Amino acid sequence: MQAEPSELTIARYIDAPPALVWKAWSTPEHLARWWIPHPIECQVIKLDLRPGGGFETRMREGAGDFQPHVEGCFLEVIPEARLIFTTVLTEGWQPAEPWLALTAIITFEKEGRGTRYASRVLHKNAADSRRHEEMGFHEGWGTVIEQLAAFVRRQG
Amino acid sequence: MENYVTLLDSVFRALADPTRRAVVSRLMRGPAPVKVLAEPFAMGLPSFLKHLKVLEDDGLIASKKVGRVRTCWVKAERLAAAESWLLEQRALWQARTDRLAAHVETHMTGSTDDAG
Repeated sequence: MQAEPSELTIARYIDAPPALVWKAWSTPEHLARWWIPHPIECQVIKLDLRPGGGFETRMREGAGDFQPHVEGCFLEVIPEARLIFTTVLTEGWQPAEPWLALTAIITFEKEGRGTRYASRVLHKNAADSRRHEEMGFHEGWGTVIEQLAAFVRRQG
Repeated sequence: MENYVTLLDSVFRALADPTRRAVVSRLMRGPAPVKVLAEPFAMGLPSFLKHLKVLEDDGLIASKKVGRVRTCWVKAERLAAAESWLLEQRALWQARTDRLAAHVETHMTGSTDDAG
């Protein structure tokens, strides 16, 4: 069965044991270093690693105020093995209407002396996801895609 | 759209590298000779040409040699397929994963032995 276009999976080998990759995820100081690309600054507001625990990060470009980035809650937390969070619920299972509805299933699997790290991300649908573009969300890499989109529109 | 995912995969692979993204960005301003495209990068011409080949194989750019100058341009029809929210999301998660790997491998592996 072919994957629905609303789902994506990214996997790669990381040359460090699962315990260390887990630490990079589960420690706010570490998470803030890689969660959002430079030069955008990341602030980890909530990282309550238990089912129903809040997950919230904010971002700031330049000297402005911190803006919302991700707000959700964890659904499953198995240290050094599996982490699931969603943005359709916030802390304490509170239903929410996020700008981008997603559930992310993150797995840490021992492979040789390192880790097979995978993110499987489920989205609601394309129309929902497009909304976030209209809201001006961007995260660094998106730039080239935005350029592509503008370019394609110009070609009309 | 039956090959949608495969198509995205190839476009995504082509753009998954910062050098190739920069080349595509540059070419969206207009066609340019290989020599001009290679200038900003601190790499040998053979390495740079490999990047161009990936872009060309995946149909994102085309090139033509006139005399001794090879000129490249972007192919709009292929890029139209890249105008996709999913591609953007993939790129975002791929970049995030790569940053995590770089962070762990560069800044944290020294502490592995200490942590036992």
